Amino acid sequence: MVRPVGGRAAGVREEERTGGQDVRVVPTPGRRAVLDAQRARGWWESFDRQVEERWEELTELDRVSGDGDFGRNLRSAVRKARARLVGAAPDDVGAVFAAVSAGFLDTGGSSGPLFGMYFREFAKAAGGLPVVGADVLARASRAGADTVQRLGGASVGDKTAVDAMVPAAEALERAVAGGAEVTAALTAAYRAAAAGAHATTGMRARRGRASYVGDAARGVVDPGALAVAWFYERGATAA
Amino acid sequence: MQDSTTAEPRVAGRRQFLNDPDDLVAEALEGFELAHPHLVRWNRDPSYVVRAQAPVRPKAALVSGGGSGHEPLHVGFVGTGMLDAAVPGQVFASPTALQVAAATRAVDTGAGVVHVVKNYTGDVLNFRIAAEIAADEGVRVQQVLVDDDLATDPQLTGNPDGPGRRGTAAVVVVEKVCGAAAEAGADVVEVAQLGRRVAGSARTLAVALQASTSPGERRPSFDLGPQEVEYGVGIHGERGVGRRGFATAAELVPQLVHPVVEALGLRRGDAVLAVVNGLGSTSGLELSLVFREVTALLGGAGITTARSLVGSYVTALDMTGCSVTLVKVDDDLVRLWDAPARTAALSW
Repeated sequence: MVRPVGGRAAGVREEERTGGQDVRVVPTPGRRAVLDAQRARGWWESFDRQVEERWEELTELDRVSGDGDFGRNLRSAVRKARARLVGAAPDDVGAVFAAVSAGFLDTGGSSGPLFGMYFREFAKAAGGLPVVGADVLARASRAGADTVQRLGGASVGDKTAVDAMVPAAEALERAVAGGAEVTAALTAAYRAAAAGAHATTGMRARRGRASYVGDAARGVVDPGALAVAWFYERGATAA
Repeated sequence: MQDSTTAEPRVAGRRQFLNDPDDLVAEALEGFELAHPHLVRWNRDPSYVVRAQAPVRPKAALVSGGGSGHEPLHVGFVGTGMLDAAVPGQVFASPTALQVAAATRAVDTGAGVVHVVKNYTGDVLNFRIAAEIAADEGVRVQQVLVDDDLATDPQLTGNPDGPGRRGTAAVVVVEKVCGAAAEAGADVVEVAQLGRRVAGSARTLAVALQASTSPGERRPSFDLGPQEVEYGVGIHGERGVGRRGFATAAELVPQLVHPVVEALGLRRGDAVLAVVNGLGSTSGLELSLVFREVTALLGGAGITTARSLVGSYVTALDMTGCSVTLVKVDDDLVRLWDAPARTAALSW
């Protein structure tokens, strides 16, 4: 089902539209101090379901700002990741993200490989660990944002996924400094990523596909940034 | 609405040998491997083509790749004296980083790998990511970027922030020369430096007489009037930089040669390697005629055509047209060009 897209905050759900000030996330089922491999897998599977249900929203956004293939490419990457997750080691958080990363790196276009490198930092940070804390997620998130900026050449303000990745990393780092456990840290990351995604609405793209259409992309959320917000939202609720 | 297929004349558009268009690349690669079992082996998933016999001694390996639809590029240049592996994407689409990383891993003998990459955003990104993944696993990777297409030169397009010149037919020369150097024992850094030097001294211009037709389509990607040619085309079926009038070869070829000579700053006494490359549907007879015009123009300017390559090597599906590439060469480059090669598309 394609949800109606239009207006300033097209394709952004109510809690995202608030810019992260008043996020009505209900963390379920229960708050967790740490993330084990099974819950990491559950986090990803929850994101996978969200993409399958709502990928067309991303495609609609991309039709305005890019070439309209983002949603479909993301769905394709998620399906490849799903196939690889079947064989991933059961007691290794890093192995979950390694499978996800390989699925994205096996996808065409530019966003697939960049997201593949983003998740690869999660695989590296959590490699071989049966359980990780918020500190590991913060390190992974920061390294991922740095890698995507380096490879893609985009900075904050260029209307790309980086506009959600960088605030998410900052929020995780603040949460860790404040002693937060995993669920609280991921909730903070989600709020920051959603606010960052929302902020792309008023931006003019300088990098990525959207840069080709200039002002035509103003007024819509960058679909890559929205996907990052979804990722952390699923972490906050499912992990 | 009227059915467009029945509204068209009976023979409109190009017909193609196809089963399912989605299977074209895989089925063609299967056929390519069957046709050259002594030369190549196709790894199905992830998809890449390697030499049937790995080099006996460790040597710097050469890997190239890019979208399909440019055959014989790149798989046709896998073999002794040229590539160790070629990584084909779907038609006009970059191979994935995972494919490139797998090919890189497969051909590394410990002496490192040189990636020869045509300048397109997707190719550059996916090869760069593959290089980082391989480097994490201890493979030394160097990249040579080939960007010879003068039609997309920022100085001509006035877009300094754009992706820059596209990579086109000069990539064959880079692969041949680098392949020879690697075979002769040059290390990855030397091979890469050589490749960058060749790419830097090469420029290309192309003209199309008819657009290409994508697999499964009947209509060409753009229409040309009978008195028009598309000037400054690339190799992906896209429009060029402008329309010019159709004319005799003697009038069209100088429009390709003169800007290239000027861009390379060629002077009387310089020597070049000249490539006249068919874009897919131009006959060998015509390409030889074009080459005659090219050598006459170069000779008139006092430039020696030291070596040449005439044929369809870097194509854009079934586009009708040709490109002219000039590479400024010295004795060293000529020697490497003359070194033996044994591949499906180039052998001497």
